[in-house]
Amino acid sequence: MYSAPESMPLDMPTFHAEISLPYTLTPGGAAGTFLAEMKNRRIVGSRFANGEVVAPAQDFSASDGEPMASFVEVPQTGEITAFTRVDGTIIAFIKLDGCANEFPHRVLGDLDAVRIGQRVKAEWDDGVENSILAIKGFVIAEDAAVGTVSDLPEPEEAIGSLDYALALPYEHAYGPYYGRMFDEIKGFGRVMGVRTADGDDALLPPREIDDISHTPTGTWKTCADTGTIRGCSIINMEFIGQTKKPPYVYAEIVLDGASTRLIHLIEIDDVEFAKKNIGPGTRVRAIWTDGERKGSMADIERFEVIEE
Amino acid sequence: MGHHVAIVGVGQTHHARRRTDVSQAGLVREAVDRALADANLEMGDIDTVVVASGPVLFGAVNHPELWVANAIGAKGKPIFRVTSGGGAGFAGALAGYYQVAGGYAGRTLVVAYDKLSEGPLQYSISTLYDPFWGREFAVGIMGFSAAYWRARMDALGHTEEAAAMVSVKNRRNAIANPYAHMKKEVTVDDVLNSKPLCWPIKLLDVPPISDGAAAIVLSNEKLAAKSTQKPAFINGIAYCCEADNAAERSLMLSEPLALAAKKVYRAAGITNPRRQFDVVEVQEPYSCFELNYYESLGLCPPGEAAQLVASGATDLDGDIPVNPSGGCMGANPIGAVGVVRLIEGATQVMGRNESNQIKDAKLALVQSGGGWANLRGCAVLSA
Amino acid sequence: MALGKVAVVATAQTELRPLWGEAQHIDLISAVVTSVFKGSGFSIDDVDFVIDSGSDVLDGRSISNCGFLGALGAHRKEEARVEADGIWALQYGVNKIRSGASSVGLIVAYSKPSESLVENYWASQVEPFYQRPVGFSQRAAAGIQAQRYLADRGCSERDLAELAARRWADAKAHANVQIGDVPDAEAILASGESALPLTELMMARPVDGAVAMLIVDESSARRAGNNPVFITGMGSGTDCHAYADRDPLKLASLEGAAAMAARAAGWSAQQADVVELSAHSVVGEMLAMDVLGLDEGKTAINRSGGALPADPIMATGLCRAAEAVRQLREPQLYGGGAPSRAVVHGAQGVGMQNNCVMTLEV
Repeated sequence: MYSAPESMPLDMPTFHAEISLPYTLTPGGAAGTFLAEMKNRRIVGSRFANGEVVAPAQDFSASDGEPMASFVEVPQTGEITAFTRVDGTIIAFIKLDGCANEFPHRVLGDLDAVRIGQRVKAEWDDGVENSILAIKGFVIAEDAAVGTVSDLPEPEEAIGSLDYALALPYEHAYGPYYGRMFDEIKGFGRVMGVRTADGDDALLPPREIDDISHTPTGTWKTCADTGTIRGCSIINMEFIGQTKKPPYVYAEIVLDGASTRLIHLIEIDDVEFAKKNIGPGTRVRAIWTDGERKGSMADIERFEVIEE
Repeated sequence: MGHHVAIVGVGQTHHARRRTDVSQAGLVREAVDRALADANLEMGDIDTVVVASGPVLFGAVNHPELWVANAIGAKGKPIFRVTSGGGAGFAGALAGYYQVAGGYAGRTLVVAYDKLSEGPLQYSISTLYDPFWGREFAVGIMGFSAAYWRARMDALGHTEEAAAMVSVKNRRNAIANPYAHMKKEVTVDDVLNSKPLCWPIKLLDVPPISDGAAAIVLSNEKLAAKSTQKPAFINGIAYCCEADNAAERSLMLSEPLALAAKKVYRAAGITNPRRQFDVVEVQEPYSCFELNYYESLGLCPPGEAAQLVASGATDLDGDIPVNPSGGCMGANPIGAVGVVRLIEGATQVMGRNESNQIKDAKLALVQSGGGWANLRGCAVLSA
Repeated sequence: MALGKVAVVATAQTELRPLWGEAQHIDLISAVVTSVFKGSGFSIDDVDFVIDSGSDVLDGRSISNCGFLGALGAHRKEEARVEADGIWALQYGVNKIRSGASSVGLIVAYSKPSESLVENYWASQVEPFYQRPVGFSQRAAAGIQAQRYLADRGCSERDLAELAARRWADAKAHANVQIGDVPDAEAILASGESALPLTELMMARPVDGAVAMLIVDESSARRAGNNPVFITGMGSGTDCHAYADRDPLKLASLEGAAAMAARAAGWSAQQADVVELSAHSVVGEMLAMDVLGLDEGKTAINRSGGALPADPIMATGLCRAAEAVRQLREPQLYGGGAPSRAVVHGAQGVGMQNNCVMTLEV
């Protein structure tokens, strides 16, 4: 029943990659209004048809999906119903006075002073707007009077979009096949693939199992650093995350001796010239970096057309 | 054998370049409310829910189904998410189809969405590429798509004009689509002279970027009557793939689509697609793809797509109208598009299409797909 | 309408390790896809469809299935990516076969959490406006769950530690999990704080690994004659997104899922011989046992150790199913007996929001 990959472990460093993207998220009517009211230091809740008040405001009831009926301003006082500590931060469920629900937020202060049923009040952070973190957290307020919910007939207009960022770092394993391939690139400036069981052309990138037949691949083979364009397009647009300024050619190249595609780019000066002279079937050669090879595809700086 | 499955209710949002009034969850809610109302049902009548959307990086919410479930009042119900890039909606519908066909649910709600205004699209799509192998050179899938369109043109002697005709046709059809947001008639010259982005793909070969959601209610035969007297039955549906960097990929035809079509046509009794189908809805992420689909779906012989579009056969008044809704050229909320195409096909055979009803349409073909053009499927619908 | 039965005829799993540093995703995947056929009577050519579970966020790659199709053995077959725990992929496959559309399906689930920050996988799951900014995520949910559970049931951190210690010992004894020294209750209590009152070793330990399962229709199973295990009931359920909105003292969606599976199977979890549960923390596992009405004295629960010593995130529920299949087919490995019924469970989402249950029978 159990198995492990039938491959040689190699002592390789990991390949670092980072996906780092900017976003503009729309909170929607309820959260957008709640966040817009943060600058007025008001906590906005939703009142539902059954009279229940929920804070922070929600467009739809979590229990049955009913849409909210009206916005209300809820008290900034309430009590702790549960708590924990994660990485030194106390995170508690807070039930604000007059509300039916609980929600998570930070508690500022000593853990020793925190207990279930503890009265708390919101503490605001002057520097923050448009975020639930405009409430820096909740602080112990033993004697805080019990507040009441009030109508909020004219709340601020909901925020339409909020800047957000996601940064996801990765340390990818090379595995035995990429490991060998990039070692060969780094050490010897050559691109190596593996043969399939029934042919001499090499698969690039190399792998243990052939994609088509799902059988083990064969021996290693050095491919040339010349090849033929299988498909290419002329990039004339800019976009976030792009690594090269256009225009340039995006090319999928089959190296001599290989059967599958390598993805790279070709520098061009003139779009019209490229349209006529670079296309499927065009012969190209790799231009290796002048600097130290690091063991990645970027050790090939670019490809260039072989003048016939 | 399993249950016969029908689409008994449909709903989509009015797609837009950017919706700043609703969150992702609120967008989903709009489509779901419309689909349930259309099916004469409430959430309580639904047994299971399938949520489909594009890659997580599009919207910065991981496992978004667990968030949007609350906004649609589906607490307690079986919910899971299927994704397949651009084909996510179609793949979600397929998963829902099997829940009903396999008897796990009497009725399944499938909702698909993407809110593409919220993230950087080409960058997100570029992360499709292997981080070791080509990601830093990727241009979403536009660079790739343009490359293989060019290769096809070279091999077949087609011109850029054929794809331009697709764009002109679909953009014209989208004008009557109440849910589309890109409604502007263009000429072939406009397309040919529009700004090259990834040549040969030019600005007007590319659909808009959209926020949108679409939902369908799938039902077994027995329960369908509560919703409608005229459901759209799914006579066949399949979705196939091929390894992205396989040596034998030709990209001249879409092999996975041809495979899926073979399965689906066998199930639905289709022997002559060009003559048997009354209407076709395809997902064309770029105009050039529609040409490839004509051939892969057997609407014309391999290599003759350019002639087919030029003949006018795929126009509204042609013998095999393709994308009377305008296709992606009217709106392109990527992860939702597979369900949008199913809705357009279903309402055609139900006789209540809101864009351009094809007279007496009885049999519809719907296509969708994603990835590097390596995930492709189709379905046959009949009233 | 009588729908067909579906059987598991083979499973394969890599060793589950905290770090599979020398293997890529495709290496783990192709290893299990290759070995699942050994001795099964089936080959890759018999497979009609592949359904796979993995996470773009963990993999660091969008539509990550797209790059793994060859390793999955899916080339020019029907393929679906379920971005959920592998037990939902299995559920999808069972429905596909029950519909009569296909006969042989391959289900694959994998994760390599060692390549990313697992914290990001969880943090990106909570909605981005209220919960995410204050740092509420998986660990905080488990901590609060534990605080309430301990207060309500009158038990102590030591009780939690003792259960966790048993699970680690079972994993070392029975499962293919890389474990050095088995921590005892003292060591578990003494490990660093994760989310008060839970320590690090009271949380499920993320591990790398892959699992594959071959499922077939009844006639193919009988023909192969290979000791099939039939899937006789399935159910799933989803609770509120915000953990604060849920009933704190039970896993309501697990209750619903189990009831749904029991209706289909005609028997409930208490009547099972073997139970394999997925839990994100030791308190989650206790809640799961409670809601299913299980008694450790009567039922063999998590003899594989469950998810606490080894949680390959997107593969955890499918690993539970594979473990249960092994216990039903090879009871001699577990001290004999003649178990005939198993319940397996998968969970996902912060605070185990989404739950799936299946019943297996021989």
